[in-house]
Amino acid sequence: MTVTGQEITDYVGRVRAALADLPPALRDELTEDLPEHLAEVAAEGDGSLVQRLGEPEVYAAELRAAAGAGERAAGSRSLESRIATVVGQARGRLARVDARLGPLLGYASAGEFLRLLRPAWWVLRGYLAALLLGVLSSNGHVSVLPRLGHSVVAGVVLLVASVLGSIWLGRNTGMLKRWSRLVMHAATGVLVVFGTVVLVQADERANWDSPYGYDTVSVGNPYEQVQDVYVYDSEGQLVENARLFDQNGTPIRLGWPACDDPALPEVNPVQRGYPYCPEQAPFRPRPPVAVPAVPGGAPTPGAPTHTATPTADPTTGAAPTTGAAPTEPATGATPTPGAPAAGDPAPTAPPRTR
Amino acid sequence: MDTTQLLKGVLDLAVLAVLRDEDGYGYDILRRLRVAGLEEVGDASVYGTLRRLFGAGLLTTYVVPSESGPHRKYYSLNAAGRDQLTRSGKTWRSFATTMDRLLDDRGMAA
Repeated sequence: MTVTGQEITDYVGRVRAALADLPPALRDELTEDLPEHLAEVAAEGDGSLVQRLGEPEVYAAELRAAAGAGERAAGSRSLESRIATVVGQARGRLARVDARLGPLLGYASAGEFLRLLRPAWWVLRGYLAALLLGVLSSNGHVSVLPRLGHSVVAGVVLLVASVLGSIWLGRNTGMLKRWSRLVMHAATGVLVVFGTVVLVQADERANWDSPYGYDTVSVGNPYEQVQDVYVYDSEGQLVENARLFDQNGTPIRLGWPACDDPALPEVNPVQRGYPYCPEQAPFRPRPPVAVPAVPGGAPTPGAPTHTATPTADPTTGAAPTTGAAPTEPATGATPTPGAPAAGDPAPTAPPRTR
Repeated sequence: MDTTQLLKGVLDLAVLAVLRDEDGYGYDILRRLRVAGLEEVGDASVYGTLRRLFGAGLLTTYVVPSESGPHRKYYSLNAAGRDQLTRSGKTWRSFATTMDRLLDDRGMAA
């Protein structure tokens, strides 16, 4: 028997839809035996019901005439029957597309191919149902293996039961009553939406987890906050128009000319040397006070500025660490002022006035 | 002339007739009609006719469970059905005779 219960159900549904303009009692009387009758027809030979009996709408017209139920009144067709006509036409069109797509897949019709995939869908549906129950029982936590109240074992039992149940439902859909079938279809719709959401979420999470995403390069870059670069020579002198290069000769660009007067003609910052804003140099070789104010976040104070402060504050002199942070990227291109300048107890360079 | 148009008028009688000697289920009745020469009769017409005759109280039904296939709903003539068959049969015979004579008189070949 090549005709399934579902096919009979669909066929009867379309016949009933085509008879929608009849009084409900008469329509029920005419079609109450139809499923059994079609099952007999189906048992007698091969081919689909449509192949053997014609389109359900034609069948309905013939049935209507034979049963003496009266011709369909063309002018006063009910909304329901007009919808049925549209649905019937759409189905016909779908059937043609179905037949045309089939050969591309290597089957007589796309539907034939999709029917082969039905059991796979049943299994997937069971899995999704178990997953949904698992998510509901664990406060929205989604895991690949469903968990029932955080228990994997219970989750697996649920999964097996759910998949078996879904397969059983799939095989026995034709036996279900009309309303239970509606409930099943509605639940299936919910599962499809749920499955889509889970898939999208899993996809997003997978993208986040990839360790070397394009954007992560700048994360943790210590020079992110650098706005300008000040180079000091071994004498504690601020070097102007310094250019920084890396080991490959590639210019190192840090910061931006934030202090430029907007009225001046613009110069391509790439072609300019550091510092962009010499007036804002953090360390000034000027005599007045011992330790100049250091802007927040600037490196260890002191070292290069000792040039102009013979009063030699012992604490700063004792911690001459580097003072090289602003010029660190300059290695290779300019001398590092930090170490030698800090080690020099009495810098002699004259203060530069600017 | 379109046979299906003629069939419409006599399908009741034909269905009653094939049930006279033996009960039958829907597809079985269709097959009997086709074997008897009514090859153009459609499944929906037979099913619809059976429903109508049943609704008119001329047929009774009973279900026979089947081991291998679907359950079958058998139709059988009841007393009213047999009466109807007799009356319709007579009407048809007289009608057919009238038509035959009409055609014969005008020299039409059978």
